[in-house]
Amino acid sequence: MDTLTKIAQFVEKGQIQEAKEATQKALDVEKIPPMEILNKGLIVGLAAVGEAFSCQKAFVPELMTAGMAMKESLELLRPSFEASDSPPMGTVVIGTVEGDVHDVGKNIVAMMLQGAGFKVHDLGIDIPAAKFVEAVKQHQPEILALSALYTPTRLAMAETLKAMESNGLRTKVKVIIGGAPIDQNFCNLIKADGYAPDAPQAVQMCKKWLA
Amino acid sequence: MLDEKIYVDRRQTINELRAKSEKMTPRERGLKAINHEEADRVPIDNWMVPEIKKRCMTYWGLENEAELLDFLGVDIRDNYGPAYVGLEFKTHPDGTVEDLWGVRRRKVVYGKDTDHQGTFTEVAHSPLEHMKTVEEINAYDRWPSPDWWDYSKVKAEGAAWHPKYFVLNKGDRLDRTAQLKPMMYLRGIQQTFVDLAMNPKIVECIRDHVVNYFVNYNPKVFEASGGEFDMFMMGDDMGGQGGPLIGLEMWRRYFRDGFRKYCDIAHSFGLKVMYHTCGDVYALIPDFIENGLDCLQSLQPQATNMDIKRLKKEFGKDLSFQGAMDIQQVLPLGTPEDVRKMVKYAMDNAKKGGGYIICTSHNIQVDTAIENVAALFEAYHEYGVY
Repeated sequence: MDTLTKIAQFVEKGQIQEAKEATQKALDVEKIPPMEILNKGLIVGLAAVGEAFSCQKAFVPELMTAGMAMKESLELLRPSFEASDSPPMGTVVIGTVEGDVHDVGKNIVAMMLQGAGFKVHDLGIDIPAAKFVEAVKQHQPEILALSALYTPTRLAMAETLKAMESNGLRTKVKVIIGGAPIDQNFCNLIKADGYAPDAPQAVQMCKKWLA
Repeated sequence: MLDEKIYVDRRQTINELRAKSEKMTPRERGLKAINHEEADRVPIDNWMVPEIKKRCMTYWGLENEAELLDFLGVDIRDNYGPAYVGLEFKTHPDGTVEDLWGVRRRKVVYGKDTDHQGTFTEVAHSPLEHMKTVEEINAYDRWPSPDWWDYSKVKAEGAAWHPKYFVLNKGDRLDRTAQLKPMMYLRGIQQTFVDLAMNPKIVECIRDHVVNYFVNYNPKVFEASGGEFDMFMMGDDMGGQGGPLIGLEMWRRYFRDGFRKYCDIAHSFGLKVMYHTCGDVYALIPDFIENGLDCLQSLQPQATNMDIKRLKKEFGKDLSFQGAMDIQQVLPLGTPEDVRKMVKYAMDNAKKGGGYIICTSHNIQVDTAIENVAALFEAYHEYGVY
């Protein structure tokens, strides 16, 4: 089995250490271009676990460790990317909205977006609208990603979008929302640009927007 | 205070419907349901955040929670178990307060300065999060003991609701019988998921501490109740919006034995077992039944695979159900007519032959308009009649 296939398998199975070692080997010994390691190794593995998750063949522990394997392996590639000056796929500002402190789903989305080549600024949890405004001004992302777990806290997503609007930023970013109580109806209601029911689909949506 | 006439008008529909349908005590109704028999109407359970309870009392002109539950025709009364008399829960300088497990929590306000402002108590510090070995976890000095409770008033508290009401022993949310939940509080949710994938020894170690505690604690509670409980409730979220949080194999490996022990202990005291989980747990239900579950709570209709019609058809012979009223979309965002349709659908498909207690899929939250809460209870009484 070639190293790239192995990398994909290690990521898919969430074998963090093995994925990192294989990535290092591909880079140092086999001199495979980093972009190829990313696209034909890491991303293939992540896509496989994402697909398994969508059809209930993999679950949160598997998705989370695969995301970690991806993220840590990607760290090894980062110096080469920075040296080659190749731009990231896009920039995302992400956070859990004000009044909500839940971040497991948000962290998986952030990891997987990073894995897919996005530059991600993760603001954390319980983030007031004003902080999102500040971060969007500072980082100028193409995408703003908002998370919430509860139904009353999801209302802070609407507040955040209003703040974007009143600061003249709403048309400058695409807004994706997610979390257990979010569906297409709620997305339409608060006029976000899209919603994804899980992390793999969130990544797909962001990629599509920037394609 | 508004004119009493307004309250009389607001209460009229529920009062009239109840007067027509009710021929049993709440307890008789509840016992019928969990024994898969039809009563006079479908029994009602009630989950609301405190802010909604207050709003309801104001709307219907009621003085306190007992009056509210009575007026709404709620049949279940909760019993919170013994009184905690262990070490004082320490308050830390950052304002966080320790709980039974030594987990630190803090109050988080949401919807500040809006009509939907409220407060949740959230985990702020998980004491086992950074431990690396089983030895460190075993040496944790805050594993709780069943001796930290005073059981002397348990019987009287149960008896205070009997024989009129159906008494459900459910414990407090923070010390409710569970396995995965305390593990997540102690270890952190994210680290728990990583452990489940990578550190089986740590999972087993924490799980054993948790299970041992409840296996020693619950018999003392049941013994102390002197027969004044009708059902025992445990709660452990195993479902997410789109599927179980963990797969069936993992559930069997880590949680099946504890689940079975909890059920067996309650059964040995003649108690039926209710189990709360959020989310889609469809794939786990046959195993729940096989390991002793009597009543699955609180069917979350927006989660995948949790349609009550299907669950009743596939599992209704062996399992009773509580829940199925949607708090994620219909109650906060729908109209009173949407609420009525939801109630009718559940009643039409689940009340036949008993085995159904109607309730919301979790606490009704502050984002829900009082008109929808009123429509919910009116429809319970309209469509729940046998």
